[in-house]
Amino acid sequence: MAQLNCDTAFTIPLFGGIPVAESVVVTWIIMAVLLIAAAILGRNLKVENVGKKQLVLETIVGGLYNFFYDLLGEEGKQYIPYLMTVGVYIGFANMIGLFGFKSPTKDVGVTGALALMSIILIEAAGVRKKGTKGFLKSFAEPIPIMLPMNILEVFIRPLSLCMRLFGNILGAFVIMELIKIVVPIFVPAVLSLYFDLFDGFIQAYVFVFLTSLFIKESIE
Amino acid sequence: MQLLRIDWNVLFTIINLLILYFGLRKFLIKPVTNVMEQRRQMIEGQMADAKKTTEQANELKSQYEDALKQAHDESAHIVEKARKTAQAEYESRVNAADQEAEKIIANAHKTIDLEREKTVQDLQTQIAGLAMMAAGKVLGKADAAEQNKLMYEQFLAKTGGCNDTDSK
Repeated sequence: MAQLNCDTAFTIPLFGGIPVAESVVVTWIIMAVLLIAAAILGRNLKVENVGKKQLVLETIVGGLYNFFYDLLGEEGKQYIPYLMTVGVYIGFANMIGLFGFKSPTKDVGVTGALALMSIILIEAAGVRKKGTKGFLKSFAEPIPIMLPMNILEVFIRPLSLCMRLFGNILGAFVIMELIKIVVPIFVPAVLSLYFDLFDGFIQAYVFVFLTSLFIKESIE
Repeated sequence: MQLLRIDWNVLFTIINLLILYFGLRKFLIKPVTNVMEQRRQMIEGQMADAKKTTEQANELKSQYEDALKQAHDESAHIVEKARKTAQAEYESRVNAADQEAEKIIANAHKTIDLEREKTVQDLQTQIAGLAMMAAGKVLGKADAAEQNKLMYEQFLAKTGGCNDTDSK
């Protein structure tokens, strides 16, 4: 049961001690890896005579960019970098179980933060596109009776995003831990392909896909 | 056990995500998309250039073709004109020559006629003289005047039949 716990990695001795969770520390590791990789890969990019490294990089970044561009269209393309960042981060966070860390996305605080930022982004995109008045009016659409539903949606959407991600990753984590107890060798490695890689990828995909769909909806 | 834990770490995660977002955007996403955009623009520019060059080339080609066709027409025209001029020249020359020849022939005819007339007159004069002489010799002893006249008329009757142009 100790595995399910969201441990406190250390406590900052300020204001009577601020606990820093393990998930935050793992997030720092992911951030460090991603930022260093970005700094190394993002240098010396050439317009002509590209190397293999840049070709792979462009395929990945361009592919992600086009994926979000197809969802958001020309008007929403300013949100693409954020969605790419979140997608890559969730993908890494879900799969980092392979390296023996606990996935940060297993912590409801992390998925909550992600969902909170998503809903802020979604509503901010709506305000930016329609103006405050138009944004408020859009709650009474398509008919005024939908007003309560639309207000509820503002809370339901981030909650569902948060809980979906959290539940899936926690479920996969629990199953993997149970399997590790029952059969310690070989079987966990095979099933980890599904629970860590495939499920991790699918959940990252679903999270950014839904976020971009909501953004598209709010800027229409 | 803390399965659900919502505290300061939500804020930490938000800060982490923002840092990650700005970092990735600055170091990876912006440079890569910029490079791709630059390449796209470059390719588009090259395509537009190529299209423009092709259009220019086509225009030049049609211009040259026109010019060539014009030159062809011109040359055909010139040749035709030269041929016509030559034909006219030839005809006028031939006509002139014909007229000249006709004139020469007419002159020659006239000259010949004159010569002949003159010869005929000469001959008549001589023949008359000869006849008179011959008659005088022959009739020297007889009745000269009567005999003379007789002979002269005889002679005229004999020769005049074929030489006298006035007789009908």
